[in-house]
Amino acid sequence: MRRFLATASVTALALTGLGACGDDDGGSSDGCKKSDEPAKVIKVRFAGDKVTPNGDRVAVETCQTIEFIVAADAAGEIHIHSDPEQELAYKEGEHSFKIQIDKPGVVTVESHDLDQTIVQLEVD
Amino acid sequence: MDSIVEAHGIGGQQDLPISLELAISGAVAALVVSFTVLAVAWREPRYDAATSGRPAPAWLQRLVTSTAFRATLRVVGFAVFAYTAMAAVLGRNVLTNPAFGIFYVLLWVGVPLLSVLVGPVWKAISPARSINWVFAKLSGSDPDRGVFEYPERLGLWPAAIGLYAFVWMELVYPHQTDLASVRFWCAAYVALMLIGGALFGNTFYERADPFEVFSSLTAKLSVWSVRDGRLIVRSPLANLDSVEVRPGLVIVLGVLFGSTAYDSFRESTHWVKFVQRSDISGTTLANLGLLAFCVGAIVVFSVGCMLTPVEKVARRELPDQFAHSIVPIIVGYFIAHYFRYGFEVGQQTLIYASDPLGKGQNWLGTGNLTVSYWFTFHTQLLAAIKVGAVVLGHVLGVVAAHDRAVKLLPRRHQLTGQLALLVAMIVFTAGGLYLLFAG
Repeated sequence: MRRFLATASVTALALTGLGACGDDDGGSSDGCKKSDEPAKVIKVRFAGDKVTPNGDRVAVETCQTIEFIVAADAAGEIHIHSDPEQELAYKEGEHSFKIQIDKPGVVTVESHDLDQTIVQLEVD
Repeated sequence: MDSIVEAHGIGGQQDLPISLELAISGAVAALVVSFTVLAVAWREPRYDAATSGRPAPAWLQRLVTSTAFRATLRVVGFAVFAYTAMAAVLGRNVLTNPAFGIFYVLLWVGVPLLSVLVGPVWKAISPARSINWVFAKLSGSDPDRGVFEYPERLGLWPAAIGLYAFVWMELVYPHQTDLASVRFWCAAYVALMLIGGALFGNTFYERADPFEVFSSLTAKLSVWSVRDGRLIVRSPLANLDSVEVRPGLVIVLGVLFGSTAYDSFRESTHWVKFVQRSDISGTTLANLGLLAFCVGAIVVFSVGCMLTPVEKVARRELPDQFAHSIVPIIVGYFIAHYFRYGFEVGQQTLIYASDPLGKGQNWLGTGNLTVSYWFTFHTQLLAAIKVGAVVLGHVLGVVAAHDRAVKLLPRRHQLTGQLALLVAMIVFTAGGLYLLFAG
């Protein structure tokens, strides 16, 4: 019984500790400070119902600037499944978009019109 | 902007892959422990469900068996159900509707994992059980009994089908984040549960309700159990031994295991590229992929169980007899794949829950909280938790299978008879670690 109580209190303390730390980090996680890393350029080409790249993994740093250079033969939207989600709307022709991702993880970048994954960003 | 419904499920980012070093050390640890258990563990069955454990403290026994406690849990469960139904019917078809998070995360991930800590959660709060109880009381009958006896041969098969229907909805169906789909799924589930309860009484929920079967299985990894009305405290391994063997048990576990593995696999670059280059539609491939993972898990496990000499039991009964030993492996997989996701989307759901109708209101006062991304930022710790969960699940599974083997297999084949099953488990664990590495 005593052991049970001891275990329970340690667990409770540990959980409280986790909770507290979580709050601290929660504040700093919003947005990115200026990053010194050079931008990662990803060239995206839409042609008909095809898009390149087509499902590749791209390694980037947390908060590194990622520049999508989009060449498209029709208007559309790129969805970035980061948290929160980001959307890039483009028209026919060539466009450049810059984004940053403020949390580590794997982020899928896709075209919903084509139902295709363009790249998966491995943010570390 | 928020009228767009994503076709990608809920929760944004996925976990980073674990490092190769960590994956390999996990696999090596699992391998070493497996053969150590085989070499040094006991030779007489150690877990006996009828005698193991000791009584829980009297106050705890009084509390959990009291009508007030049970009624409170039922009322809370029903209130959450009614609240969710309200959000699903009156709320808007956007991902900020809390019904999505409650259905896909709190119910699917939260309830089974909570059951590992406190025992069978869904049994205690299931709204279908509560409604069945009220109907029975109103008509002056016994909620435990229905019009018919539940057919023994049916076993857990209805639950296996229900679980497959859930994972299909979550992982294959393209409109899984359309509110109407979730509403339809839940309405069908509740309707079937009420009909089943009326026909077969509470036995139906025990064996056919997918969520109760899942939650009561993971609850066998808790220290809590009830025997002859007494609350018993015993080791999770002793508790696990008390999983009742019924037809379809191995199918239920195969669906749970295979679908979790498929969920990880489908995000891997190889699969994504293969699907996008194929001429076959993505939905067809997803259907085949999910089915292949579930059938594959069942076949590998069953063959592993059956490749042994037998005396006391028929060979074809062995997969169900050993099935309880995959429960910890599934829970390990589940933690590895959904821990961070459940932690974050779970918090997000509590925040969204304050505005069930999507009108910018703050009913519960949780609307202004922010999600803690603590585990996302501690990637090393997260990776260690994931690998630790998979390896610990493997170890518990091997020990549980060993104890069952010394109970069932002929004495002179007790060790060699376990080898095939051990290989199957190592395949599962190495495969799981590979998915964490390559996902």
